[in-house]
Formats: sequence, structure tokens, C-alpha cells
Amino acid sequence: MPSEPDRQGPSLRGWLEERFNLTEMFSFLTSFGLFPTELDARRPLKEAIAEALSRPFPSYARWPRVLGILSILLFLFLGVTGVMLALYYQPTAGDAYGSVTTLVRDVSCGSFVHHVHGWAAKLLILILLIRVWRFYFQGMYKGPREALWIVSILLFLFAVAADFTGRLLPWDQHGYWQTIRGMEVLGALPVGGSLLTFFVGGASPDTLVLLRFYFLHVVALPLLLLCLFYLNFSTVRRVGLSFSPGESRAGAGVFKVHLYNLVILAALVFGCLVTLATLLPSPYLAPADPFSTPAGVRPAWYLLASHAFLQSIPTLVPSWLRGLLLEAILACCLLLPFLDRSPGRAASQRRWALILGVGVLALWLVFTWMGYRMEVGR
Amino acid sequence: MTSAPNAEPEIEMGRRSALGWLVKGFLSLWAIGAGVAGIAFLKAPEKEKRPAEGVVRCGSFSALGVGEARFIRHGAEPLYVIRVSETQVLALPAICTHLRCVLKWNQARQTFDCPCHNGAFDKNGNVLSGPPTRPLAPYRAEIQADEVVVRT
Amino acid sequence: MIAALLLAAALTSSTSNQCVLCHPDVRVLFDRSRHHAEEVTCTACHGGNAQAITVESAHSGNFRGVPKRRDIPALCATCHSDVEKMRPYNLPTDQYALYQTSKHGQLLAKGDERVAVCIDCHGSHEILPPEDPRSSTYVRNIPATCGKCHGDAKLMAPYGLQGNPAAEFAAGVHGTLLLEKGNLEAPDCTRCHGAHGATPPGVGDVDKICGQCHATTRTYFLQGPHKTAMDKAGLPECAACHDRHDNRPADVGMLDKVCLNCHGADSAQAKLALQMKTSYASASEEIDQAHALVQRAAAIPLYVEDYQARLEEARTALLESLPVMHSLNLASVESLTGRGRGIAREVESELNGKLQGRRWRMVGLLVFWFYLLITLALLVRFRRRAVAESSR
Repeated sequence: MPSEPDRQGPSLRGWLEERFNLTEMFSFLTSFGLFPTELDARRPLKEAIAEALSRPFPSYARWPRVLGILSILLFLFLGVTGVMLALYYQPTAGDAYGSVTTLVRDVSCGSFVHHVHGWAAKLLILILLIRVWRFYFQGMYKGPREALWIVSILLFLFAVAADFTGRLLPWDQHGYWQTIRGMEVLGALPVGGSLLTFFVGGASPDTLVLLRFYFLHVVALPLLLLCLFYLNFSTVRRVGLSFSPGESRAGAGVFKVHLYNLVILAALVFGCLVTLATLLPSPYLAPADPFSTPAGVRPAWYLLASHAFLQSIPTLVPSWLRGLLLEAILACCLLLPFLDRSPGRAASQRRWALILGVGVLALWLVFTWMGYRMEVGR
Repeated sequence: MTSAPNAEPEIEMGRRSALGWLVKGFLSLWAIGAGVAGIAFLKAPEKEKRPAEGVVRCGSFSALGVGEARFIRHGAEPLYVIRVSETQVLALPAICTHLRCVLKWNQARQTFDCPCHNGAFDKNGNVLSGPPTRPLAPYRAEIQADEVVVRT
Repeated sequence: MIAALLLAAALTSSTSNQCVLCHPDVRVLFDRSRHHAEEVTCTACHGGNAQAITVESAHSGNFRGVPKRRDIPALCATCHSDVEKMRPYNLPTDQYALYQTSKHGQLLAKGDERVAVCIDCHGSHEILPPEDPRSSTYVRNIPATCGKCHGDAKLMAPYGLQGNPAAEFAAGVHGTLLLEKGNLEAPDCTRCHGAHGATPPGVGDVDKICGQCHATTRTYFLQGPHKTAMDKAGLPECAACHDRHDNRPADVGMLDKVCLNCHGADSAQAKLALQMKTSYASASEEIDQAHALVQRAAAIPLYVEDYQARLEEARTALLESLPVMHSLNLASVESLTGRGRGIAREVESELNGKLQGRRWRMVGLLVFWFYLLITLALLVRFRRRAVAESSR
């Protein structure tokens, strides 16, 4: 009541504090992993933040826990660059390529924004994949982290979906034909296949398909990913950060130190993205031509293993069964916490799981390589 | 905390604040740079550089005399803009319909002459003589604010 | 019996043309023809009585039977040289007169019946107008029609005609355009040799014939020394270098070889030819280099439409230099090739400038990293201070 505003004096912050609950507004920062706890909405903002900053906190901007914050940082970069790209992009088959050309050629920094977006996407998928593998090998899916495991897998899958839908948008030869090849792979899965056909309306992209992909890429998938990120950090706040048994919780300091770590990390990530965008820009390709297939177009790299798997099973097995096998593998991955019966997280207790993990990883790599080679002769 | 004579803390404070301002200025360059890049990004590209629209701007209308033609470069398909009367302008492709050589406007004869096989077209694009069989197909041309604009 | 036959005849014949009763195979051919459509009857050429149903009465009167070859031109001319008859169809009437001036007509007058007469090119019963694609006189079918005789070595030997002009024509660029690509503007045999007045052109007339289409080249050729020199030497002007029937597309490589057919390898003329070739080839190479640079720039992408337009102009200048070469005027040739080369060089230098400008991006990256590292150092320092404060 009146005593507090008097203490603030005639400042802008005081003026705002009388009218809005600034602390409540800023408490959203907690949701996405920036602050460790909820800000106390009863206190003025400056006090609440000072209190949060001085709270003892083991910084997780260190390997291997940094993967989580890295992924949301990359997602932030993707979001910002994506919004900037959306100002110029036109989602119709006739105009898409021209709008991307205008963006990349004629707009100041347009090429830079475009390439940063591309590289951030590649890195995000890689980081999310590494994160899933790390959770597996360190047994971080055991109770009470089942939700975290499932959310991590879903994050990876939806990020892959965003990448897949994003490839079609420039409407260039490579993206167009890669999408067709990718849809062949996805269409072979039984339930997923019919869902895909229902939503996409056919195997060959046209302007309506492009619009749906645009909607998915720009609206639906970012929202889903945002929700999943929120769930991710919310679960972490509940179950605590994941330290392997025997790992020291040293390196503790107050949260302010961790915040500096995050800013340094963000600066490094930005530096990497700028360097990659400048030195290794993605090539500018010819516009999509539905009547001419370029040589050597493969499905996107994350689909190569599924592609090889579906093709290499002997033909005795009907195709729907093969797709079902793949989906069964996916279901096993998601339900892993409930399937794994080993007592604890330590490596000694999970020998079989570790062996299985190494085996599956090796198989996945082999199938990816096979999928890559399958297309060479075409 | 020190209990040194007053002069030192003041100098300390002066240097600290100067350094502090320097650091703040240095770091704020990031924000300024991002702001400048963002604003430059928002600037709509010039109209000339929008090739996808198929609209070609062909210069001033009043600078073109009646019965004169102006050659407009447009990638691999240049065109001519001819002022046929006080108020009318016609746009024709500058490529011969025989074997695609670039035509030349003959002001005296008011014809388009092809230097390759002596084809000739009149100022409306009809074939006058020579090997071409098809006339020149006109583009839509409009006059917008004293500028000739052609839709290819 | 006779009444029944009469009835049958009356019912089966479409007109009162009873010739077809005995000559049904001819009727099939004739029914397709233009003459049939215009109701020209059998008797118009063969005489006789079309109403008669017996051979004797049909073949009576002015019946000519199968006309003799030497009489055929005059027979066709009875209608086709008659202005009154031909006016409603707007058909020319000079064919017979032209024929008599032609080599075929001249030899026929001397008694050689192996030469072509009207029916050899137009057919006898199945005559179709030249606009009809099925006609033997349709522009795309003419090389085959002429080639029936002129491609037969045994037939042509007594006249001293060698080679197979029809085959040579088909191999050349005019033949390819006409026969394979269907370009009806391309010349057939009659465009150069005439149709009814077909005669091999005189040595001094070749430039006029080729100049019907290649007018610009002819203008420059007439300005040069070759016209008078070749006429005096009895060389067939254009055909001396470009072959009579097997015409190849314009190729500056010819300047190395063809000139040496008459001029010595050390002569001033051979040197001139080499100079023209070098001038063209170097300009062409420069344009190709500029084009490659434009492709590279477009792949970045940079805005290249203006450069593409200028290269089109350069190529046109080069294309124009080819007819000019026939004047053997090196200065005129070099003004055109020079313009092409100049444009290509301008484009190259401007694009190279733009591509070099992009190298500044690397410098920008270094500056960025320099700035970033200083910022990181500052941040690390602030962080250490925060650690120190928190451990207090």
C-alpha cells in the first residue's frame, strides 16, 4: 500500500510499479529456464530480481547440462531470424522463390539472416539428438525423469519436423525434391502415412501443400516446441538438475554467476552462428522444376536411416509391416522408462541397456550410411 | 573498505565511473549494431530490383518524342518502347521472330530492321519484308506518372 | 441386260463419268486431287467420251490415251496458260513459258524425253496444290521430288551431273531447318533454282540468289574484292566457299582453311583471314569468360540482369561482324568485334569489383570476432567479480 511507492521516490520504475505488477510480468522468464525459481510477485521487481540473483545455484551452463539451455538459445535465434524472414517470404508456389531471392540478394543483411536461420536449425537438431543420447547413456530417464525423457524425444522429433517443413519453403530444386523423397519415406509408415496424406493431400507439393507446410513451420511447430521447452524446464525445476551419481555439485555460486555464464554462452553461440553463416553459406539453387529431377537428391539426413531400413528388409515382409516395425521402435524409445527394469542409474547396474544403446547407435549410423550410399547410383 | 584521505576515493570513483561508462559504451555498440542491422533489414527493396513481378520501368514518357523509339535492356529479352502518338505508347520485344537477333530501330523509315537476314517490321510489329513469319507480339504498356511501365 | 448395266452404272457413278467403271484404281487417285475437286474431268486431258459405257465409244473422238511425254507440257498449258480460265483461281499462267526457258524444257525441245515434265513433279492423277502437305510439290517434299531424278547417279551421269544434291542439301543447315525442324522459311530447291524455270544459276548470279535472304552478307560481299575476282575466275561466288547444297552454319574456323583453297599460306590474304579470325575468336572468348563470371555471380546470388543484357548486346555485335567479314574490310570487322570485346571487359571488371567487395566480409568477420572477444573478456571479468562477491 502507500508506503512502498513513497520509498521508490519519483522514478520511472516507481511510477510503473504503482500501476503494473512488473514482477509478475517478468516471472515468465522462469518458465523457459532463465530464472531458477518463480519471482515473488508480492515484491517490487528490483528486490525480487536481486533476491533471485543472490540465491545459491549450481550453474548448469557446463557440460553436459548445457545442452538444454543451448537448445533454447538456438531456438531463440531461430525465432528471431524466422520472424525477420517472415517479413519477406511469400508462401505461394509462384512467388516463394522470387521472395527468397529478393531477401537474399536485395535486402541488407537478408542473406545473413537467412544463413543464420539455416545454421541454427542444423545445430538445434544436432544438439537435441546429442541430448537424447546423453540422457540414455547416463540413465537420465529413470524415475522421476520419465516425463523429461519423453519431452526430450518429442522435442527432437518436432524440431526435425520443423526442419523438414522448412526445407520446402524456398521452393528451390533441392528442397522440393528432398521433400518428395522424404514424403515417400514418411508415407510408408502405416498410421503416419495416412495422416500425412490426409493433411498434405498427396505426394507432390503444390501451392496448397506449401501453404500447409508454411503454417506448420511458422505457427504450429514453434508453438508446440515452445510448449515442450516449457514442459522441459518446468520438469527440471521439479526433479532437479541431472547430476550423474558421483558427479560433484561443485562450481556452485549464486545465480548471478550462472547468469553471466549464460550471457557468455549466448555470445559464443552467436559468434559461432555468424562465423558459420559467413564462411559456409548454403548455396543458392535453381527454382523448383516439377518436371526435372536433379541428380543425387536424397531424403534429409535424419530420414536416411529409416529410408534404408524400409528398403533393405526383404520384400517378403509387406511394406506396412516394415513401417509398423519403425513405429514400434519409436514407441519403445518413448516408453523406455517403463520398459527398463534395471534398479539404478549407475553404469554397473545398466550394463544391458548400455550395450543395447551402443548397438542401436551403431545400427543407426550404419543404416544412415547405407541410405546415403543407396542414392549414389541414381 | 578503505579509510584513505578523501582525495583518493574521489579519484578512484572518477576513474571507475569513466571506465564504467567506457565499458557501457562498448557493450551498447552491440545493441546499436543490432538496431542498425534490423532497421536496414526492414527497408523495403527498391522497385527496380523486383524481377519476379515482370514489370519493367522504361523511363520518362515526355522525354520520348512522337515517332521515336527507346531501347530498354531487360536481361535476355530487351524491348522497344515507341511513342506512336501524343498520348499512346507501344511496347514491342526487340528480338526478331526469325532467328532471334536484336532488332534496330530505323528512325527514318520508322521500321525495326534486323541486321541478320534483312527482316523488317513496321512500328506496330507487323512483318514488312524478309524471312520473319510472325509479327512482334506487343506487351502491355501504361503511362504512370509520366513513366512508361511495361508488363512482360 | 443393258438397261440393268446402265442402271447399275448410273447408281454407282457419282457423276456421269463412266471412265471409272474400267479404271477404278485411277479413280481412287484422282478423287484425292485438286482437279477432281474443281470438277476437271478425265476427258479434259485424255479426250474421249465420258458418258460412253463401251470401250469403243469411250475411246472414240478426240481420245488421246496416255499422252506422250513430250506433249505433256503443252497439254497442261491448254488450261494453265489460259488467263481467263486461271483468273478465278488466281493462279499464275507463266509456268509453260518459264518451263520452256528451263534446262528441262530446253532439253525436251531437243528431243530428250528423260527430263522432267509436269507429271514428274506434280504427279498425274493425284495432283494436289503446293500448300497441301501431302502434295509432292509441298515445300518440304520438294527436295525428295527433285531428288527422285537428281539423286540418281545413273540417270544424271549422261548430263555430267555428279553428286547427290538432295542428300547434300539434307545434310546442310537449310535442309536440316526445312526437313527436320519444319521451318518453312528455309529455302528448298525451287527458291534458288526456280521452279518451272529451273536452271542452274550463272556464276555471277549466285550472290543475288543467296542474297534473297542473306541480304546483309551480300551487301558486304559486293563491297569487297571477291565479287569481281570470282566472276572473272568463273568461281560460283558464295558456293565457292560455302558449298552449293551442303551449307554449313557460319563458323570462323573456316577462315583458316577455305581461304587457302585459292590463296597461298604466306599470302597477305591468308594473313587477313587469320587476323579476322583472331579478332572474332578473342572477342568470343572474352564474352564467354564474362558469361561464366555472370553465372558465378548469379549463384551467390547477385543482381545480374543488367550484365546479361549487356552481354546480349556484345553477342549481337559479334553476330553482326560475320556478314561484315565478307567485305574483307578489317577495320569494320574490328570495330564490331572490338565493341563486343569492350562490353565483355566492362562487365568482367565491374563484376570482379563486386566479387572483390565481398571479400571485405572476411575482414568484417575478423572485426566481429575481435569485438566479441573483448566483450567476452569483459563478461568473464564481471563474472569473476560476482563470484568474489558471492563467496564473501
